[in-house]
Amino acid sequence: MLLLQLLINGVQAGALYALIAVGFSLIFGSTRIFHFAHGATFTIAAYVFYYVYSLLQLHWLAAVLAATVAAVAFGLAVNRLVYTPIQKHEGSFFTVFVASFGVGIIAQNVCGMLFGRAFVSVDTPLSRSVELLPDLYVSPLSGIAIVIALAFFAGLQAFLMRTHTGMALRALSDNPGLVRAYGLSPQRLSMAVFALGSLLVVPAAVLLAASSGLQPALGHHIMLISLAATIVGGVGSLRGAACAGLLLGLAENLALNWFEPQWSEAVTFIVLFLFILFRPAGFFGRTTVS
Amino acid sequence: MLAYLLNLATLICINAVLAITLNFIMGYAGIFSLAHAAFFGVGAYTAAYVAMHASASLFLAIPAAMLVTGLLSLVLALPALRVRGEYFVAASLGLQVLAVTVFSEWKSVTGGLGGTIGIPPADLFGHAVSDPVEFLLLALACLVPVILVTTVLLRSSFGRSLKAIRDSESAAHASGKNVAAIKTLSVVFSSSLAGIAGALYAFYMGFINVESFMLDTSVLLMAMVIIGGTGTLLGPLVGTVLLMALPGLFSYMSFLPQTEIGSIQQIAYGLAMVLLMIYRPGGIVGARSKGAA
Repeated sequence: MLLLQLLINGVQAGALYALIAVGFSLIFGSTRIFHFAHGATFTIAAYVFYYVYSLLQLHWLAAVLAATVAAVAFGLAVNRLVYTPIQKHEGSFFTVFVASFGVGIIAQNVCGMLFGRAFVSVDTPLSRSVELLPDLYVSPLSGIAIVIALAFFAGLQAFLMRTHTGMALRALSDNPGLVRAYGLSPQRLSMAVFALGSLLVVPAAVLLAASSGLQPALGHHIMLISLAATIVGGVGSLRGAACAGLLLGLAENLALNWFEPQWSEAVTFIVLFLFILFRPAGFFGRTTVS
Repeated sequence: MLAYLLNLATLICINAVLAITLNFIMGYAGIFSLAHAAFFGVGAYTAAYVAMHASASLFLAIPAAMLVTGLLSLVLALPALRVRGEYFVAASLGLQVLAVTVFSEWKSVTGGLGGTIGIPPADLFGHAVSDPVEFLLLALACLVPVILVTTVLLRSSFGRSLKAIRDSESAAHASGKNVAAIKTLSVVFSSSLAGIAGALYAFYMGFINVESFMLDTSVLLMAMVIIGGTGTLLGPLVGTVLLMALPGLFSYMSFLPQTEIGSIQQIAYGLAMVLLMIYRPGGIVGARSKGAA
């Protein structure tokens, strides 16, 4: 029964990781920006939700809306104020990475100063677990997480395949020069990518906050997971990132059956390490590594 | 005030060893490792273990730390031979996270989250080095050879081969360089020297725990190298001094709330990293020498 419980927890965590990883992968795949501050977007969205819902006691829809606005605004601001100036003088991968990590540190500490560094939980009527079978506790949030993740993926897929902007975004990841020649602005498109990628974080942030609480350092953990998922899934493959997110969520939770909880993060990275050594292109990777 | 400056100078020496060795693989071999703090930690824990269970002699603890880190660094060399760029970063990140887990869970050797307490002072020819001035001299005595060895090595044919690999791996391979051997050697060299810094740190603090060897330290070291100037000899030194002196400034600003000092220091680090990357991505030393190169 423990295994089944872990399986359900794993699918829930995996669905949320998949959402975050897809956002990161979308940004990285189309702009080649290693957006380490993606974890900070998560933290900010989660704390804004917590602030509006638990502290101000407003309706949950208002809280979700506020979290969405905060996440998208943060994503756009980081792109506009940090990445664009760096890329103007052809910033290398590492210049962007260090700057992004710096943004992550700032956001984490500002959240810590504003809301305290302690663990806070967001109590919603849906958070409470129900005993479905003997010894099997499931909260309604697990179901909601899976449904929402699927809905967002379907929406994203439709957006990328059907709309003009979506097609332009896919073109941007293939050949930015050609996109410019075609008369589209890569600058404006990258803003769209950041808005979209940050938006994908919001449901994950809200659901994770409601189901397991939050603390400022959580963004870091989230970032490592989505980075691992992007690589394991294959850079540039959204489907891969989603599957890998799910896989890592499952691995992290199923590992609890055999190891102490402290090892769950290590399990994720052993999976990642093995993938890099033996299958660096990931599940569905298109590009082979030189 | 004097005690504070001595402490700062010693820590700068230790971090400079780390920054210089990281620059060796980052700037010259093109291996961007985020696991440098892990090797720093391995060195520190090894030295602490040797000092507490065998002898605190520097001539035993430092070689032991170098040997263990050098051997373990082969794990880092493995992905370095297979992949480049963001894939390698992810692999080294994975190693770093694994190392932190091992440091905090292997309680019989590392003392777990609580850390290793009561490391005896370093022993040099039967004399216990515990005086701050003496320790600073000891740290300098380790820093100077590290600088000399890396400089000599980089000016030798080995250094030129490294740069050739960084610029084009296939071209270096085509001109008969044993790319795998050179890369592996450079990783082992850099990590084992980082082990020296670990040993010094363990003896200096007398207490170590996992907090000093986390991902943040790796990134801070990387920031020191990049801010100072990647691939320059002087750059890592400048970056180290700058980033180590920075938090000290805030401790003197009495108008800041005491409980938030830690956060404010972190924010200042983050801000410095962001601003320098925007305005001076080549690093402080790098930007100036660019015209000459």
